[in-house]
Amino acid sequence: MKRRRSTKGLVDPSARAKYVFALPALTFFAVAIAIPFAAGINIAFTDWNGVAKSYHYVGFANFAKLAGDSRIVSPIRNTVLFSALGVVANNVLTLSLALLFDRMRGRLGDFCRLVVFIPCCLSGVLSAFIWKFIYRFVLSTVFGVPSPLGSVTFVIPAIVVISLWCSAGINMLIYYSALKNVPRELYEAALVDGAGAFTRFRRVTIPMIAPAFTICITLTFTNYLREFGNVMAATGGGPARASETISMYIFDNLYTYNKAGYGQAISFAFLVALTLIASAMTAFFRRREVEL
Amino acid sequence: MRARKSLAVLRVLAAAAICAAFLFPFYIAVVNSLKTPLETARNALAPPGSFSLANFVTAARTIDFMRALLNSLIVTVSSVVLIVLSSSLCGYTLARHAKRSRALKALDKAFLASLMVPFQILMIPVYRIFKSIGLINNLLGMIIMLTGISVAFATFLYAGFVKSIPRELEEAAYLDGCGPYKTFFMIVFPLLKVTTATVASLHAMWLWNDFNISLILLQKESIRTITIKQFYFFSQYASDYNMAFAAAILSMIPILAFFLFAQKKMISGIVGGAMKG
Repeated sequence: MKRRRSTKGLVDPSARAKYVFALPALTFFAVAIAIPFAAGINIAFTDWNGVAKSYHYVGFANFAKLAGDSRIVSPIRNTVLFSALGVVANNVLTLSLALLFDRMRGRLGDFCRLVVFIPCCLSGVLSAFIWKFIYRFVLSTVFGVPSPLGSVTFVIPAIVVISLWCSAGINMLIYYSALKNVPRELYEAALVDGAGAFTRFRRVTIPMIAPAFTICITLTFTNYLREFGNVMAATGGGPARASETISMYIFDNLYTYNKAGYGQAISFAFLVALTLIASAMTAFFRRREVEL
Repeated sequence: MRARKSLAVLRVLAAAAICAAFLFPFYIAVVNSLKTPLETARNALAPPGSFSLANFVTAARTIDFMRALLNSLIVTVSSVVLIVLSSSLCGYTLARHAKRSRALKALDKAFLASLMVPFQILMIPVYRIFKSIGLINNLLGMIIMLTGISVAFATFLYAGFVKSIPRELEEAAYLDGCGPYKTFFMIVFPLLKVTTATVASLHAMWLWNDFNISLILLQKESIRTITIKQFYFFSQYASDYNMAFAAAILSMIPILAFFLFAQKKMISGIVGGAMKG
């Protein structure tokens, strides 16, 4: 009997340890994400103002209010516009950069990739600051154009440009490494079959790097939908709420309008939309991937 | 042949133009950090008339640069150490035991789902909870929060790597009488060196630049980290661009130096993490 127990210990000495190992990560995860998430569900059903100690439960009133809130239309429109513009511009730019750098092996290619990636190391605050200056002073001295950040029409494209500068490096690297992994024989075979440059790109490159499309497009889209720091630092939502995004509207409900309960209800609606969009996009692109 | 050569020249020209475009904002920042306000007003593009570090001296003094830098360092280093420790342990146990343990499998699923949760949904409750337990305006609260939002992703990076290393070494250690804890720290953890380098360098960069959480948690002047300090500094001294640029460059130096030092690990982490996700 005693012997059997010791053999059992030898086979799986980590019976308890395997849970102990997960404990530190679980604790941090619980405090930072799981508990606030659960508490958030609670807050969404209250009229908590963000400051007071007490609050009342209001049932689904916050969600009902959401449906009739005319102030939320503009943040939704801005967020969708910002994300759509950002996704298209980002992926067109980063794929072109990756295609170009893919043809430039060696030192020069390494250097170019490094240069494009460096702005990714800066915080959104810093890049927004530098670009605000460029828009305001460089554009006006060189071209005599007023800063697009002050224009209701151009403010969103202008923030997209900032975000491209400080985030293009990541997708460029993902596309680049996908391109590097396309077997050269496929191009050679296509060439033998008489395929021109465009046909090779359309029929070989695009299908072969399809997984990179799935990742980059879904990732950039959800990142743009969630973007907060860049916009906050560039405009704070102005001029005249023309660049106010959903994230900022949630933030303002807590800090400016003292409607934390309502803000929390918006954020849950936002999470549902985000999850639906991301899973629909992933499914859409996954179906188009080919396996060798 | 000639067409091919001219195509290559065209490519180099395009690459040069792209590099110039991506470096231009850095040029603007450096040039204007060395100029006086008058010179900037005259021409924001031109190089400075004379070389002077006066803006840097004022900037370092005005924004209490050293203190913010120290806050950033404390927060980033502590969080990265905690992330590496807790995620390597958790990634290891998930990779080895999640298949046969329902509790660990559930944890794995919860971590995966959490990657989709936007920060905005946590913003209000985090503020409320951390305020009620006195962790607002507190570097410890900041460290706990930064670690907590990072462990899920770091755990996945570790778990992916652990799956690729054979179990034999651990089993041999058990046979030699090593307990599970000793086995992990003496045998497994050293094998995870590559992943540790990737996890540490990526998170060092991300946490150094964190804006969302510091905006919520660090509202007191003396406790602010570099990024959040700059956010307020830039809006406060909106007119003194030259000093602000000097401040911007001062705060860029640590992170850029770190990037040039760790770029290989970071890049492989970004590409590897994306391809697995």
